[in-house]
Amino acid sequence: MPPSAPADAASYANRADEWLVERCRESADDAAFAELVRRYRGPVFRLAVSILGQEFAPDAEDVAQDVMLRVHHALASFRGEAKFSSWVYRITFNQALNVKARVRYRAPHVSDQALAALPTQDRDPYDRLHNDRRQQAVLALIEDLPEVYQSALRLHYWLGESMSDIAVLLDVPENTVKSYLHRARRLLHARLAERGFDAR
Amino acid sequence: MHGLPSEGSMHDDEMMDALLRNAMTADAPRLSPGFDARVLRRVRPRRLTPIGRAVIAAYVVVAVAATLWLMRDVQTTWIVAAVAIGTPVAAAASIYGRRLAVGR
Repeated sequence: MPPSAPADAASYANRADEWLVERCRESADDAAFAELVRRYRGPVFRLAVSILGQEFAPDAEDVAQDVMLRVHHALASFRGEAKFSSWVYRITFNQALNVKARVRYRAPHVSDQALAALPTQDRDPYDRLHNDRRQQAVLALIEDLPEVYQSALRLHYWLGESMSDIAVLLDVPENTVKSYLHRARRLLHARLAERGFDAR
Repeated sequence: MHGLPSEGSMHDDEMMDALLRNAMTADAPRLSPGFDARVLRRVRPRRLTPIGRAVIAAYVVVAVAATLWLMRDVQTTWIVAAVAIGTPVAAAASIYGRRLAVGR
Protein backbone atom coordinates (compact mmCIF):
# COMPACT_ATOMS: atom_id res chain seq x y z
CA MET A 1 0.00 0.00 0.00
CA PRO A 2 1.42 3.43 -0.89
CA PRO A 3 2.17 5.73 2.04
CA SER A 4 -0.53 8.29 2.66
CA ALA A 5 0.00 11.91 1.62
CA PRO A 6 1.11 14.33 4.32
CA ALA A 7 -1.10 17.23 5.34
CA ASP A 8 1.12 19.82 3.64
CA ALA A 9 4.03 19.74 1.20
CA ALA A 10 6.45 21.24 3.76
CA SER A 11 6.25 18.05 5.82
CA TYR A 12 8.01 16.17 3.00
CA ALA A 13 11.24 17.73 4.27
CA ASN A 14 11.04 15.60 7.43
CA ARG A 15 10.45 12.31 5.62
CA ALA A 16 13.07 9.63 5.02
CA ASP A 17 14.34 8.99 1.49
CA GLU A 18 12.65 5.58 1.41
CA TRP A 19 9.25 7.12 2.14
CA LEU A 20 9.69 9.71 -0.63
CA VAL A 21 10.84 7.03 -3.09
CA GLU A 22 7.78 4.95 -2.28
CA ARG A 23 5.52 7.98 -2.85
CA CYS A 24 7.16 8.57 -6.26
CA ARG A 25 6.81 4.91 -7.22
CA GLU A 26 3.27 4.29 -6.05
CA SER A 27 1.59 7.66 -6.49
CA ALA A 28 3.82 9.48 -9.03
CA ASP A 29 3.97 12.25 -6.42
CA ASP A 30 5.67 15.30 -7.94
CA ALA A 31 6.18 16.95 -4.53
CA ALA A 32 8.02 13.86 -3.24
CA PHE A 33 10.34 13.86 -6.25
CA ALA A 34 10.87 17.62 -5.87
CA GLU A 35 12.01 16.99 -2.28
CA LEU A 36 14.46 14.31 -3.47
CA VAL A 37 15.84 16.75 -6.07
CA ARG A 38 16.19 19.47 -3.41
CA ARG A 39 17.97 17.01 -1.10
CA TYR A 40 20.40 15.53 -3.64
CA ARG A 41 21.07 18.28 -6.20
CA GLY A 42 24.02 19.71 -4.22
CA PRO A 43 25.88 16.46 -3.47
CA VAL A 44 25.25 15.14 -6.99
CA PHE A 45 26.55 18.36 -8.52
CA ARG A 46 29.66 18.40 -6.30
CA LEU A 47 30.43 14.77 -7.04
CA ALA A 48 30.07 15.46 -10.78
CA VAL A 49 32.32 18.54 -10.50
CA SER A 50 34.94 16.52 -8.61
CA ILE A 51 35.08 13.98 -11.43
CA LEU A 52 34.97 16.42 -14.33
CA GLY A 53 37.47 18.88 -12.85
CA GLN A 54 37.74 22.64 -12.91
CA GLU A 55 37.82 23.13 -16.68
CA PHE A 56 34.59 21.23 -17.23
CA ALA A 57 32.63 22.46 -14.21
CA PRO A 58 29.88 23.92 -16.47
CA ASP A 59 29.23 20.40 -17.77
CA ALA A 60 28.59 19.19 -14.21
CA GLU A 61 25.21 20.90 -14.12
CA ASP A 62 24.15 18.95 -17.23
CA VAL A 63 25.37 15.77 -15.53
CA ALA A 64 23.36 16.60 -12.40
CA GLN A 65 20.25 17.21 -14.51
CA ASP A 66 20.71 13.95 -16.45
CA VAL A 67 21.20 12.07 -13.19
CA MET A 68 17.93 13.44 -11.78
CA LEU A 69 16.06 12.47 -14.95
CA ARG A 70 17.63 8.98 -14.91
CA VAL A 71 16.70 8.56 -11.27
CA HIS A 72 13.12 9.58 -12.02
CA HIS A 73 12.82 7.11 -14.89
CA ALA A 74 14.54 4.30 -12.99
CA LEU A 75 12.66 4.69 -9.68
CA ALA A 76 10.26 1.94 -10.72
CA SER A 77 13.16 -0.50 -10.96
CA PHE A 78 14.83 0.62 -7.70
CA ARG A 79 14.39 -2.34 -5.35
CA GLY A 80 15.91 -0.81 -2.26
CA GLU A 81 18.71 -3.37 -1.99
CA ALA A 82 21.22 -0.51 -1.64
CA LYS A 83 20.67 2.81 0.09
CA PHE A 84 18.94 5.34 -2.15
CA SER A 85 21.83 7.78 -1.72
CA SER A 86 24.42 5.15 -2.75
CA TRP A 87 22.34 4.32 -5.81
CA VAL A 88 22.09 8.00 -6.81
CA TYR A 89 25.83 8.59 -6.32
CA ARG A 90 26.73 5.49 -8.34
CA ILE A 91 24.58 6.76 -11.23
CA THR A 92 26.30 10.18 -10.87
CA PHE A 93 29.80 8.70 -10.88
CA ASN A 94 29.13 6.64 -14.02
CA GLN A 95 27.34 9.48 -15.82
CA ALA A 96 30.15 11.94 -15.01
CA LEU A 97 32.78 9.48 -16.27
CA ASN A 98 30.85 9.09 -19.54
CA VAL A 99 30.67 12.86 -20.00
CA LYS A 100 34.34 13.25 -19.08
CA ALA A 101 35.33 10.74 -21.75
CA ARG A 102 33.50 12.91 -24.30
CA VAL A 103 34.71 16.37 -23.21
CA ARG A 104 38.32 15.75 -22.14
CA TYR A 105 39.67 16.49 -25.62
CA ARG A 106 38.50 20.08 -25.48
CA ALA A 107 40.70 21.00 -22.49
CA PRO A 108 41.78 24.64 -22.76
CA HIS A 109 45.46 25.33 -23.26
CA VAL A 110 47.05 27.59 -20.64
CA SER A 111 49.88 29.67 -22.05
CA ASP A 112 53.01 30.73 -20.14
CA GLN A 113 51.90 34.35 -20.54
CA ALA A 114 48.61 33.55 -18.84
CA LEU A 115 50.44 31.71 -16.06
CA ALA A 116 52.85 34.59 -15.57
CA ALA A 117 49.93 36.99 -15.24
CA LEU A 118 48.32 35.01 -12.41
CA PRO A 119 48.16 37.02 -9.16
CA THR A 120 50.55 35.74 -6.49
CA GLN A 121 52.21 36.75 -3.21
CA ASP A 122 55.77 36.06 -4.43
CA ARG A 123 57.78 39.16 -5.22
CA ASP A 124 60.58 37.54 -7.16
CA PRO A 125 59.42 37.07 -10.77
CA TYR A 126 61.41 33.83 -11.06
CA ASP A 127 59.83 32.38 -7.89
CA ARG A 128 56.43 33.51 -9.08
CA LEU A 129 56.78 31.81 -12.43
CA HIS A 130 58.25 28.70 -10.82
CA ASN A 131 55.39 28.46 -8.31
CA ASP A 132 52.78 29.03 -10.99
CA ARG A 133 54.31 26.35 -13.18
CA ARG A 134 54.52 23.94 -10.27
CA GLN A 135 50.88 24.53 -9.35
CA GLN A 136 49.89 24.13 -12.98
CA ALA A 137 51.94 20.91 -13.12
CA VAL A 138 50.11 19.62 -10.02
CA LEU A 139 46.73 20.36 -11.59
CA ALA A 140 47.80 18.63 -14.82
CA LEU A 141 49.22 15.61 -12.98
CA ILE A 142 45.99 15.18 -11.04
CA GLU A 143 44.33 14.43 -14.40
CA ASP A 144 46.51 11.32 -14.75
CA LEU A 145 45.57 9.85 -11.36
CA PRO A 146 42.91 7.13 -11.01
CA GLU A 147 39.41 8.63 -11.11
CA VAL A 148 38.59 7.97 -7.43
CA TYR A 149 41.83 9.68 -6.35
CA GLN A 150 41.05 12.70 -8.53
CA SER A 151 37.55 12.89 -7.14
CA ALA A 152 38.71 12.56 -3.52
CA LEU A 153 41.40 15.25 -4.03
CA ARG A 154 39.02 17.75 -5.61
CA LEU A 155 36.28 17.11 -3.05
CA HIS A 156 38.75 17.62 -0.19
CA TYR A 157 41.05 20.41 -1.40
CA TRP A 158 38.86 22.33 -3.82
CA LEU A 159 35.32 21.86 -2.62
CA GLY A 160 36.21 21.62 1.09
CA GLU A 161 34.15 18.49 1.81
CA SER A 162 34.74 16.64 5.08
CA MET A 163 36.14 13.08 5.13
CA SER A 164 32.76 11.70 6.18
CA ASP A 165 30.95 13.49 3.33
CA ILE A 166 33.51 12.26 0.79
CA ALA A 167 33.07 8.73 2.15
CA VAL A 168 29.31 8.96 1.57
CA LEU A 169 29.71 10.38 -1.94
CA LEU A 170 32.25 7.74 -3.01
CA ASP A 171 30.44 5.00 -1.05
CA VAL A 172 33.58 3.86 0.77
CA PRO A 173 34.64 3.90 4.45
CA GLU A 174 36.29 7.05 5.80
CA ASN A 175 39.63 5.27 6.24
CA THR A 176 39.57 4.41 2.54
CA VAL A 177 39.14 8.09 1.72
CA LYS A 178 42.17 8.93 3.88
CA SER A 179 44.09 6.19 2.10
CA TYR A 180 43.04 7.55 -1.34
CA LEU A 181 44.25 11.02 -0.37
CA HIS A 182 47.53 9.75 1.06
CA ARG A 183 48.29 7.61 -2.00
CA ALA A 184 47.29 10.43 -4.34
CA ARG A 185 49.69 12.83 -2.60
CA ARG A 186 52.49 10.27 -2.77
CA LEU A 187 51.91 9.68 -6.46
CA LEU A 188 51.80 13.42 -7.15
CA HIS A 189 54.98 13.99 -5.16
CA ALA A 190 56.82 11.31 -7.13
CA ARG A 191 55.55 12.56 -10.50
CA LEU A 192 56.36 16.17 -9.64
CA ALA A 193 59.92 15.09 -8.79
CA GLU A 194 60.17 13.30 -12.16
CA ARG A 195 59.34 16.63 -13.81
CA GLY A 196 62.00 18.46 -11.82
CA PHE A 197 59.73 20.14 -9.27
CA ASP A 198 59.87 19.72 -5.52
CA ALA A 199 56.86 20.11 -3.23
CA ARG A 200 58.42 22.94 -1.16
CA MET B 1 59.09 0.44 12.74
CA HIS B 2 58.31 -1.51 9.62
CA GLY B 3 55.09 -0.43 7.84
CA LEU B 4 54.92 3.02 9.43
CA PRO B 5 55.67 6.03 7.20
CA SER B 6 59.12 7.48 7.78
CA GLU B 7 59.60 11.02 9.07
CA GLY B 8 60.77 12.09 5.63
CA SER B 9 57.72 10.71 3.84
CA MET B 10 55.40 12.34 6.41
CA HIS B 11 57.18 15.64 5.75
CA ASP B 12 56.72 15.15 1.99
CA ASP B 13 53.05 14.38 2.57
CA GLU B 14 52.58 17.58 4.57
CA MET B 15 54.33 19.63 1.87
CA MET B 16 52.19 18.04 -0.82
CA ASP B 17 49.14 18.81 1.29
CA ALA B 18 50.15 22.49 1.46
CA LEU B 19 50.91 22.59 -2.27
CA LEU B 20 47.50 21.13 -3.12
CA ARG B 21 45.78 23.66 -0.88
CA ASN B 22 47.57 26.47 -2.72
CA ALA B 23 46.93 25.00 -6.17
CA MET B 24 43.20 24.38 -5.74
CA THR B 25 41.97 27.80 -4.74
CA ALA B 26 39.54 28.48 -7.59
CA ASP B 27 36.00 29.38 -6.51
CA ALA B 28 33.77 26.33 -6.19
CA PRO B 29 31.11 26.34 -8.91
CA ARG B 30 27.44 26.52 -7.97
CA LEU B 31 24.26 25.20 -9.49
CA SER B 32 22.20 27.78 -11.35
CA PRO B 33 19.09 28.96 -9.45
CA GLY B 34 16.61 27.48 -11.95
CA PHE B 35 17.93 23.92 -11.63
CA ASP B 36 14.98 22.40 -9.72
CA ALA B 37 12.40 24.01 -11.97
CA ARG B 38 14.18 22.73 -15.10
CA VAL B 39 14.36 19.17 -13.79
CA LEU B 40 10.74 19.11 -12.64
CA ARG B 41 9.55 20.55 -15.96
CA ARG B 42 11.35 17.71 -17.77
CA VAL B 43 9.81 14.93 -15.65
CA ARG B 44 6.23 16.18 -15.70
CA PRO B 45 4.11 14.63 -18.47
CA ARG B 46 3.42 17.17 -21.17
CA ARG B 47 -0.28 17.88 -21.59
CA LEU B 48 -1.80 19.52 -24.63
CA THR B 49 -3.56 22.84 -24.28
CA PRO B 50 -7.29 22.93 -25.23
CA ILE B 51 -6.32 24.61 -28.52
CA GLY B 52 -3.74 21.91 -29.23
CA ARG B 53 -6.30 19.20 -28.54
CA ALA B 54 -8.84 20.89 -30.86
CA VAL B 55 -6.23 21.16 -33.67
CA ILE B 56 -5.36 17.46 -33.37
CA ALA B 57 -9.03 16.41 -33.27
CA ALA B 58 -9.73 18.49 -36.38
CA TYR B 59 -6.72 16.97 -38.12
CA VAL B 60 -7.90 13.44 -37.32
CA VAL B 61 -11.41 14.15 -38.65
CA VAL B 62 -10.08 15.69 -41.88
CA ALA B 63 -7.48 12.89 -42.32
CA VAL B 64 -10.09 10.12 -41.87
CA ALA B 65 -12.51 11.83 -44.25
CA ALA B 66 -9.79 12.38 -46.89
CA THR B 67 -8.57 8.79 -46.55
CA LEU B 68 -12.08 7.35 -46.96
CA TRP B 69 -12.72 9.55 -49.99
CA LEU B 70 -9.38 8.67 -51.62
CA MET B 71 -9.82 4.94 -50.97
CA ARG B 72 -13.42 4.76 -52.11
CA ASP B 73 -12.52 2.75 -55.24
CA VAL B 74 -9.84 0.55 -53.58
CA GLN B 75 -10.60 -3.13 -52.90
CA THR B 76 -11.26 -4.14 -49.27
CA THR B 77 -8.22 -6.49 -49.33
CA TRP B 78 -5.87 -3.57 -49.96
CA ILE B 79 -7.48 -1.52 -47.20
CA VAL B 80 -7.03 -4.38 -44.71
CA ALA B 81 -3.39 -4.79 -45.81
CA ALA B 82 -2.73 -1.05 -45.43
CA VAL B 83 -4.25 -1.01 -41.92
CA ALA B 84 -2.32 -4.18 -40.92
CA ILE B 85 1.00 -2.62 -41.95
CA GLY B 86 0.31 0.97 -40.94
CA THR B 87 -0.98 0.34 -37.40
CA PRO B 88 2.14 -1.38 -35.95
CA VAL B 89 4.42 1.13 -37.71
CA ALA B 90 2.46 4.06 -36.24
CA ALA B 91 2.47 2.44 -32.76
CA ALA B 92 6.24 1.84 -32.90
CA ALA B 93 6.89 5.42 -34.06
CA SER B 94 4.71 6.73 -31.24
CA ILE B 95 6.56 4.71 -28.55
CA TYR B 96 9.95 5.74 -29.99
CA GLY B 97 8.86 9.41 -30.03
CA ARG B 98 7.75 9.26 -26.39
CA ARG B 99 11.07 7.73 -25.32
CA LEU B 100 12.93 10.46 -27.16
CA ALA B 101 10.76 13.10 -25.51
CA VAL B 102 11.58 11.89 -21.99
CA GLY B 103 15.27 11.53 -22.81
CA ARG B 104 15.64 7.78 -22.12
